[in-house]
Amino acid sequence: MNIDLILHVLQDAFPAETLEPQAMPINETFVALPPASIYLAAQILVERFGLRHLSTITGQDTGSEIELLYHFWDGRGLTLRTSLPREEPHIATLVNLIPGAAFYEREVSEMLHVTFDGHPDPRTLLLPDDWDGGAPLINE
Amino acid sequence: MTRVTIPIGPQHPALKEPLSFLLTVEGEQIMESALRIGYVHRGLERIFQNRSYLQNVHVVERICGICSHIHTTAYCQAVEALLGLEIPPRALYLRTLLCELERIHSHLLWLGVLAEHIGFTTIFMYAWRDREIVLDIMEELSGGRVAHAVNVIGGVRIDLDQEHVHSILQRLDELERQVETFLGVVQHERTLQARTRGVGHLSAEQVRRYCVVGPVARASGVDVDLRRDAPYAAYASLDFQVITAEEGDVWARTMVRALESIESLHICRQLLQQLPEGPLTVRASRRVPPGEVVSRCEAPRGELVYYIRSDGSDRPARVKVRTPTLTTLITLPDQLRGVNTADVPTVLSGVDLCIACADR
Repeated sequence: MNIDLILHVLQDAFPAETLEPQAMPINETFVALPPASIYLAAQILVERFGLRHLSTITGQDTGSEIELLYHFWDGRGLTLRTSLPREEPHIATLVNLIPGAAFYEREVSEMLHVTFDGHPDPRTLLLPDDWDGGAPLINE
Repeated sequence: MTRVTIPIGPQHPALKEPLSFLLTVEGEQIMESALRIGYVHRGLERIFQNRSYLQNVHVVERICGICSHIHTTAYCQAVEALLGLEIPPRALYLRTLLCELERIHSHLLWLGVLAEHIGFTTIFMYAWRDREIVLDIMEELSGGRVAHAVNVIGGVRIDLDQEHVHSILQRLDELERQVETFLGVVQHERTLQARTRGVGHLSAEQVRRYCVVGPVARASGVDVDLRRDAPYAAYASLDFQVITAEEGDVWARTMVRALESIESLHICRQLLQQLPEGPLTVRASRRVPPGEVVSRCEAPRGELVYYIRSDGSDRPARVKVRTPTLTTLITLPDQLRGVNTADVPTVLSGVDLCIACADR
């Protein structure tokens, strides 16, 4: 993975944003983007750079917002970070780009009540069908 | 022909762990399948947030009853990166030794399960008997057959002397002869070939589409292995081959795992013969400075991912675990389409499911 080239292309694709890549331990780079840009950024990674391996999607409640981390990997890690409002969080699904994202999105959806717009199969993944205990990973 | 829908699971004699399928069949042929998991979901990601970093070492070890050590390896590696610790080489070698012993044990256990599912009970018996050699070694080293508690944040808590090294090397030779026998069976035995060739096929394109990892990906010709591609622990100083196959069926997965076991035996020998001298741990603070880390390891089933966020306290703000089984489960409806109902257990065992890992 040519991380410098990828970051350069992403910066060109979103001229309105100032991308501030963060170097993380163990060969990992984090890039923050607004939620509306995640689909396009993933499309660039997949179609232009052949970066098709999405390791997983982490969802977390940081207190003020719901943060999603899309962990890509090809020899080293690249994570796209985005933040959603705590009220009715939603974001475009990546399933048509990366079919392997289906389970990861379902898990984030049930654990944090994030809606993935356009997900072909938005059932719960791990929680019981009759679960009514709210979103388990939302901090109260 | 009439379509009939058959429920399988969550409790079923052919399943080792709970998951459920709705199979739609026409005659003996599977037309569609729907998968449901989550029956052993324990809410561990929430539990991690309520335990200290030290306590969590023992919680992550219990995610899986087969590859328990790789979970603590990925977890400790992540916390050590946040702490900025330099782990002593001897500790990294011992950590890697357990990783490879665990891989051999996992692959032999899997071979036994597959053999039993295709009615080849002899290989099931032999594979599980010989797996005891590895379990005995692990028990001697750590005191535990399943949960080893070898990793601590900052190193390992076990050591071994020269006499012990010699004794383990001898037993590894014995095990290698046995694994070579299994390899011969996989290569030449007609029954095994008839039951596994062409069954549960995944193309390299399907592997990439579904982000599949580990031996299942390698058996479809996708050459990926974190031990070589992003070396962790002691792998950068070891000499080993990454095994791949082109066929993409259950037979190819059997070959890949059998050859990988032999490769793991070679790695174990190198580790034991080159074991550096020195301390086993470095001192680690209980509080972890704020930061984030993504840690990846090659578990017996493939890429295992940990994400940890620290807020500066002695408890993690978030621990996310993605186990390799989750990536292979998603391919099962594709693999089952068109197969004979008698081959369903072969397909299921072919990918080496660990439902406890997937559900967490």
